[in-house]
Amino acid sequence: MTDFLSLWADSLPQLLAATVKVTIPLSIIAFVLALVVAVLATVMRLSRIRPLQWVSRFYVWLFRGTPILVQLFIIFYGLPAAGITLSAWTSAIIAFTLNTGAYAAETLRASVQSIPRGQLEAARTLNFTGWQTVRHVIAPQALRIALPPLGNDLIDLVKGTSLVMVITLADVFQVGRQIAATNFQPLALYAEVAVVYLAIFTVLSFLQSRLERASNRYIRSPRA
Amino acid sequence: MLELNDVSKSFGGTAVLTRVSLALNDGETTVVLGPSGSGKSTLLRTMNLLEIPESGCLSINGDSVTFGGSLTRKQVSAIRRRSAMVFQGYNLFPHQSVLDNVAMPPVLNGKADRAASRARAVELLGKVGMSHRLEEYPDNLSGGQQQRVAIARALAVEPDYLLFDEPTSALDPELEAEVIRVMVDLARERRSLVVVTHNIGFARRVADRIVFLADGGIGFDGTPEDFFASESERIRRYLNVFDAV
Ligand SMILES: Nc1ncnc2c1ncn2[C@@H]1O[C@H](COP(=O)(O)OP(=O)(O)OP(=O)(O)O)[C@@H](O)[C@H]1O
Ligand SMILES: [Mg+2]
Repeated sequence: MTDFLSLWADSLPQLLAATVKVTIPLSIIAFVLALVVAVLATVMRLSRIRPLQWVSRFYVWLFRGTPILVQLFIIFYGLPAAGITLSAWTSAIIAFTLNTGAYAAETLRASVQSIPRGQLEAARTLNFTGWQTVRHVIAPQALRIALPPLGNDLIDLVKGTSLVMVITLADVFQVGRQIAATNFQPLALYAEVAVVYLAIFTVLSFLQSRLERASNRYIRSPRA
Repeated sequence: MLELNDVSKSFGGTAVLTRVSLALNDGETTVVLGPSGSGKSTLLRTMNLLEIPESGCLSINGDSVTFGGSLTRKQVSAIRRRSAMVFQGYNLFPHQSVLDNVAMPPVLNGKADRAASRARAVELLGKVGMSHRLEEYPDNLSGGQQQRVAIARALAVEPDYLLFDEPTSALDPELEAEVIRVMVDLARERRSLVVVTHNIGFARRVADRIVFLADGGIGFDGTPEDFFASESERIRRYLNVFDAV
């Protein structure tokens, strides 16, 4: 047991460094960009312009329908054959952005469509412009509805970044692997990696429930 | 004056309104009656351009549109700001407080600044008996309370005509009575109301005018006295249904 703990203490700084340098920034950058992509894809999907709808549907179909690992390989190892060479970081950001964006777009579309039609009619009879309706009626409600599933998309993304080692990036998992290969203590090291992910997950789910509670204040309370 | 001229509307080839013409006077309460599916909602929604007919024209106090071609956003909004709709399902915005539901629309319409609009909203909510729940969210209110807030919201945008589509059909009798009381007050103030309802008592007591829809057109247009005394087979059959209950 003391062995275990001293192994952990020795390797922890390196694992944390990899977490802070790769896992966390990659997750944050990809998630923020994914939200932008998702909003764009949702606007296109719900627009009245057919070709835009098709582009959006095709994008979601393509990225939900293929494994993230295959997407990473195509972007990092495949594209150079077509004359497009991207760094490991750029490839990872693109792959995780587009992959998470596709899931988030589905989440947002479902949220927008779950707003009762009557409210949109009310907005029309009150003479709101299209933008005012989005800004004051659709977006605030859709975001609240989307919050829990978007939180899940983020958690999936963080865990998914453990795949970047296949394109040479040294994230927390890859660094753990490297240490395990030199000290021959795979159980201790992989357990430690798991603990790092669990710590991130715990923080994220705490934030998620705080946010949900803050945005749920107008829902009928059990007492009412 | 609200005028419909030769208005026709169909859904997927089924005619609902066929060359309907109707002229309503300001300051009157018009009750629209008719069997289910006779086109009452369609007629009312046309007045607010929630439905766009295939042909005919609509004018309200100097703004008019002709149907058949495409309408510009400007035309639509000019007509729309002349009326406001109260729905059977209330359709309040659940993420906004009662006060915000009523105070926001005039601000978004550019009609009033925030402070003036809030003051006016408080006043209107007082008028419908909702002063005590200003900061509440709609889902925490009874149906009758929600509908009264919806009426205040409709009044807030200062429409010439208030359009009610079965405003009490989803309510229990006692809650229905609170909403009807508010509507009676508005009628007494000589607001221009167009009310689709199955509440025959309201029609009898409050209407200045009854419009009865049947078979895609106007089967009767006149005073309540004449309507309830009518010998018309179709009107008798319609009224008998209510006598039976
Ligand atoms: N959006 C729509 N699409 C297709 N058909 C419609 C639509 N709206 C109304 N209809 C049809 O048009 C006819 C008239 O409908 P409308 O809602 O105006 O009747 P109503 O008199 O208000 O009936 P009710 O008393 O049941 O509310 C009905 O046959 C209805 O099925
Ligand atoms: Mg109807």
